[in-house]
Amino acid sequence: MRFDVIIIGGGWAGCTAAEPLVEAGKKVCIVSEGLSLSAVKYESPYARLATLQKQGAVVLRGDRAISGKIEDGKVVEIRTRNMDEPLVADEYVLATGKFFSRGLLSDKEHIWEPVFGADVVYDPDRTKWFDPDFEAPQPFMKFGVKTDAEGRVLVGGKAIVNLTAVGDICNE
Amino acid sequence: MNNLEQCLKCNLCTLVCPMMEVNPDYPGPKKAGPDGERYRLKDPAFFDYALKYCLNCKRCEVACPSDVHIGDMIQAARIKYGSQAKAKGLRGLRDWTLASTDLVGSLASPFAPVVNEVLQLKPVKSVMDGMLGVDKHRTFPKYSKQKFVNWFRKQDQSGFDRFVSYFHGCYVNYNYPKLGQDLVKILNAAGYGVHLLEKEKCCGVALMSNGFAARAKKQGAVNLASIRKAAEAGEPVLTTSSTCTFTMRDEYPDVLGLQNSDVRDNIMLATKWLYEKISSGEIKLKFRKDFRMKVVYHTACHMQKMGWQLYSIELLRMIPGVTLTVLDQNCCGISGTFGFKKENYGFSQKIGSKLFEDIRTSNPEYVATDCETCKWQIEMSTGIPVLNPIEVLAEAIEL
Repeated sequence: MRFDVIIIGGGWAGCTAAEPLVEAGKKVCIVSEGLSLSAVKYESPYARLATLQKQGAVVLRGDRAISGKIEDGKVVEIRTRNMDEPLVADEYVLATGKFFSRGLLSDKEHIWEPVFGADVVYDPDRTKWFDPDFEAPQPFMKFGVKTDAEGRVLVGGKAIVNLTAVGDICNE
Repeated sequence: MNNLEQCLKCNLCTLVCPMMEVNPDYPGPKKAGPDGERYRLKDPAFFDYALKYCLNCKRCEVACPSDVHIGDMIQAARIKYGSQAKAKGLRGLRDWTLASTDLVGSLASPFAPVVNEVLQLKPVKSVMDGMLGVDKHRTFPKYSKQKFVNWFRKQDQSGFDRFVSYFHGCYVNYNYPKLGQDLVKILNAAGYGVHLLEKEKCCGVALMSNGFAARAKKQGAVNLASIRKAAEAGEPVLTTSSTCTFTMRDEYPDVLGLQNSDVRDNIMLATKWLYEKISSGEIKLKFRKDFRMKVVYHTACHMQKMGWQLYSIELLRMIPGVTLTVLDQNCCGISGTFGFKKENYGFSQKIGSKLFEDIRTSNPEYVATDCETCKWQIEMSTGIPVLNPIEVLAEAIEL
């Protein structure tokens, strides 16, 4: 299935990226796994996604992007859990957030981005991930995917020309 | 399946639970699902009978960022611990009758004209309301004089070299053969012959939600055996009901423990199959030039859980002359047999009110949806006729 733009993540960042695109008449697909915690701010939890859908955006609620295929420095398609066929677009936006929304996954030694395997900035020394003071700003909340000056995601050190990261998933 | 330890207690499921919004007696998906499961594992006496209010709409699972099988957990708990909570006496008879769609359909269709009339009579409705607890506001879907399978037997399907199988389900067979007839028409026009399954039973969803899981499991095994035979012949099994599809694909393994991984991908909605064939150019349909229809699409809860609404929506968008708006996904409130019960009628209508309002303000000619019980509920509550996307397509093509 073909779109102009595929946005992975239907939370605050994903919707903010989608709104001007949909308004400009682009064919946008939003893959929104689970509800975003930012939804609690709105009158109805799906309010922004529902509006986008009425304006013509395709919203895949509860579906998850599983993998993205990169060829010659460009994303060519993504696969999702529910759809049998690949989803294809000219531009892709990564707005999957951090740990809670599983935009970033981790084990005891590593932190990684599961869809594209994007480069993630984090301290290799695990003891530096946390501040024992519970109320202090936690260092792990600053980890995120590496981007170039234009916000394009780096994979294996190279900027992917049609993949932009927005919102929480970015490294600060 | 039972991944309760994945729950982070964020309560997003609680936020989207339609029952939670209207019924303070329902503890909500988090408490009924992963929280309650922790207790039930310690001692089954912790089973809370308020779990009967769960609509099994799976909106909690769609909202869960941690992929917890909340709805499955609640369904499984009701089956495992709640069987003694099955209604007794007349209410038990009612639940049994509502759940036995196959048997009741077979008994009723030979007398369809009489049964349909009788079920509409006010005195009959008030007796059913008072004695059986079937709400008097509800109108039963009409039984058809001719069963779908009897119509189908008279159709010549021999002139084709490619075939698909069709799981028609109870509603098409006993109440609404037109939908099945429309699908056969489309498939034949596309150059495909249609087979029925060797043996087809009700998918069992009504049995499961009314506490007859053992019977559901037996019927599921019969269906899977026939589906395997179709798969061996290289035929996909197409369906026209989102709930039957969801039940056979996901509830069979997750709730009933019926292994279906070898044929799960073979069971699919006809809209998905048609979309794929049309968009790849394998099927070419001729559309009527004069066709115009203003439609809003309602995503049924199980449709959303499968994530397949996109296929139905894009299929409708392919039809020249269709003006389509996709409604915000809200539960219609009927949840199969749930909304027919007198004690649930109020909840059912309150839950659906957002959707009804949304439909009324869109003021369409037709509502399109892939679920038959949504259809009954929307037609009863808004007066606007509801079609399956297959029916819209059948009307739009030139034969």
